[in-house]
Amino acid sequence: MTARTIPGAIRRAGFGGRFRGRTTVIGLVGLGLLAVLMVIGVTVGSTQIGPADTLAVILHRLTGIDLGRTWTDATETIVWELRLPRVLTAAVVGAGLAIAGATFQGIVRNPLADPYVLGTSSGAALGAAIGILLPVSFVALQLGIVNVLAFIGAIVAALLVFRVGGAGRSGGMTRLLLTGYAVGSILAALLTMAMYVSGTNLRTIFTFLLGGLGGASWERLLVAAPVIIVACAAVVARARSLDGLLLGDSAARHFGIDVRRERGILLVLASMATAAAVAITGLIGFVGLVVPHVVRLLVGAPARRVLPISAIAGAILLVAADLVARMLGDIPVGVVMAMLGAPFFLVLLHQARTGYEL
Amino acid sequence: MHLPSRAARRASLWSIATPLLALAFVVAACSSSAASTTPIAPSASTALASATPVPTVAPTPSPTPAPSFPLTLTDDEGGTVTLAAEPQKIVSLTPAVTETLFAVGAGPRVVATDDSSDYPAEAKPLPDVVTFGTVDVEKIVSLKPDLVIAGGAGFTAADAIAKLRDVKIPVLVVSTPSIEGIYKDIELVGSAVGATDEAKTVTTKMRADMQAIATAAQAESAKASTKPRVFYDVGYIDTTGQIYGPAEGSFLAEMLGLLGVDVITGDKVTYEIPIEKLIERDPQVIILGVNAFYKPTPETVAKRTGWKALTAVKTGDIRSVNDTEITRPGPRLAIGMHNLALAMYPDLRLPPVS
Repeated sequence: MTARTIPGAIRRAGFGGRFRGRTTVIGLVGLGLLAVLMVIGVTVGSTQIGPADTLAVILHRLTGIDLGRTWTDATETIVWELRLPRVLTAAVVGAGLAIAGATFQGIVRNPLADPYVLGTSSGAALGAAIGILLPVSFVALQLGIVNVLAFIGAIVAALLVFRVGGAGRSGGMTRLLLTGYAVGSILAALLTMAMYVSGTNLRTIFTFLLGGLGGASWERLLVAAPVIIVACAAVVARARSLDGLLLGDSAARHFGIDVRRERGILLVLASMATAAAVAITGLIGFVGLVVPHVVRLLVGAPARRVLPISAIAGAILLVAADLVARMLGDIPVGVVMAMLGAPFFLVLLHQARTGYEL
Repeated sequence: MHLPSRAARRASLWSIATPLLALAFVVAACSSSAASTTPIAPSASTALASATPVPTVAPTPSPTPAPSFPLTLTDDEGGTVTLAAEPQKIVSLTPAVTETLFAVGAGPRVVATDDSSDYPAEAKPLPDVVTFGTVDVEKIVSLKPDLVIAGGAGFTAADAIAKLRDVKIPVLVVSTPSIEGIYKDIELVGSAVGATDEAKTVTTKMRADMQAIATAAQAESAKASTKPRVFYDVGYIDTTGQIYGPAEGSFLAEMLGLLGVDVITGDKVTYEIPIEKLIERDPQVIILGVNAFYKPTPETVAKRTGWKALTAVKTGDIRSVNDTEITRPGPRLAIGMHNLALAMYPDLRLPPVS
């Protein structure tokens, strides 16, 4: 969508060129920052490994080139099997949740929407709890039954809300939001019951609810990342539809958008990305709700700018938060993220000279 | 700190889970738990030094008369408990206390226990007043006990203990991180139920057994030039990769130390050890503490993310042991020590422990 094709009122809302050059700069700076954070993320941990060894191990594993082997097997395992998949998982999940959050906020036109608005979180948590409580263990592709059931739970909850909430129909999104809330409440009640009877498994369920990157591995990343990346790329490709939906159904129709179809597709894509993220990292909050708002304050409202910058910012936030969390003895990443991110968000909100509306 | 197999997980759970539990269900125990433990952790050598010489027969009851009722005792968390007469209806809220009560001959006076009290067999059919960590205070009150013995450091919910004390039921709280503390707790429970001499007999035999095992194991350990680096696996969460081991300063770590090994410990409060630290410490032997709720195998351990860098995994030196006796701070600890010693040194010749 270009500035020429949209009405003045929309242009004034930030759809115009005011932020255009700035977006590219912010994007490039963001990518640079992300790269630096990822290198630090792989270098820092409870074991001291020098940056030279870290890079040498990665170079060795990627290309087979050996510039004099100075490291031990243990160092190689720590860098290659533990830290690298963890940092990459943080980046992919952070990006995925931020894009999913931006998408849901646009579709339901509510600034408080997050990736879990369709009951995905309760569905995933209940699925995981069932997986933890079932007396069977099952491992395929290094994905435990917990990961698989969390994914299924998230998808089933989202589809249920989608059908019952009438997301396929035209009309307001209030019904969809409230259906999400109601279905989420039922699932949360079942989860509470599961936790109540879980005995020694309570801690396992609890850590899933906290969310975290400790369980990251190449296998889990290689299963979840394609889902997240493909879904997010497809959302970005539909940025124009998302802009249209944000303006309301009738306005969107004027732009020639098939409202019901586009809304359905976007909801499914964002739910897929969320479910895949939740399945491997548990319930990580904050990033999906706040990052899109921060990005809108920085680059304006058009989805074609908000979505890619949200992906970069989400990745930065989660990689940085996980890094700090690990340095503080692996405390829950959600705590760090809120403590780092919320003050930054408050400052931006305060500085926004023009009022900020979604 | 209590560390029976379930308690290990539950006690550390309380410390982590408190905020969420308070939200999730209001009945949750909001004890700030582990932090409140007074660390009485004598080193392995003091524990050995204080052990009495090996008696071949049980000693005759000491001539000093057992304290008579009414009796006032100070428990492990500083609470004072006054007992007007010898308790006749006793409620035990931990499996270790249940075992202790039966070992000192007070078993017939136990009227209720918690849901993990599974030993001895007579304790199993007794009514449960703790289910999944939730204390049924009303049920306890309805039984009109004259003594309730609870676990400290958050093992028994602090609010439940407070409520019982509010209705004038005497509650004795036992909690210890050390082997010496376990002997003291057995003797404390014995005094509370009027079985001081019986408790002393139990602990005297325990000290002798523990020392005999430690001496034999250390002789075996001394044959090698260096102590083997050993990790005792208490728990593992697959979805998050969290690893739980013997807490630093716990009696489990102390037992392993007495066996002449280089113990790899987890965090004092959370029992956790980060995988990177475990790789750095590089155990040569991994002992899996198996129980009804935790059943890892050498195969599943080898598949854990990052574990293949460990020497023990590379050489396949992963051993399993039933951890109930090992991690339950009660009168069967010497049996646990015996099993742990044999897991560590399979060729060790040890007299049987009963």
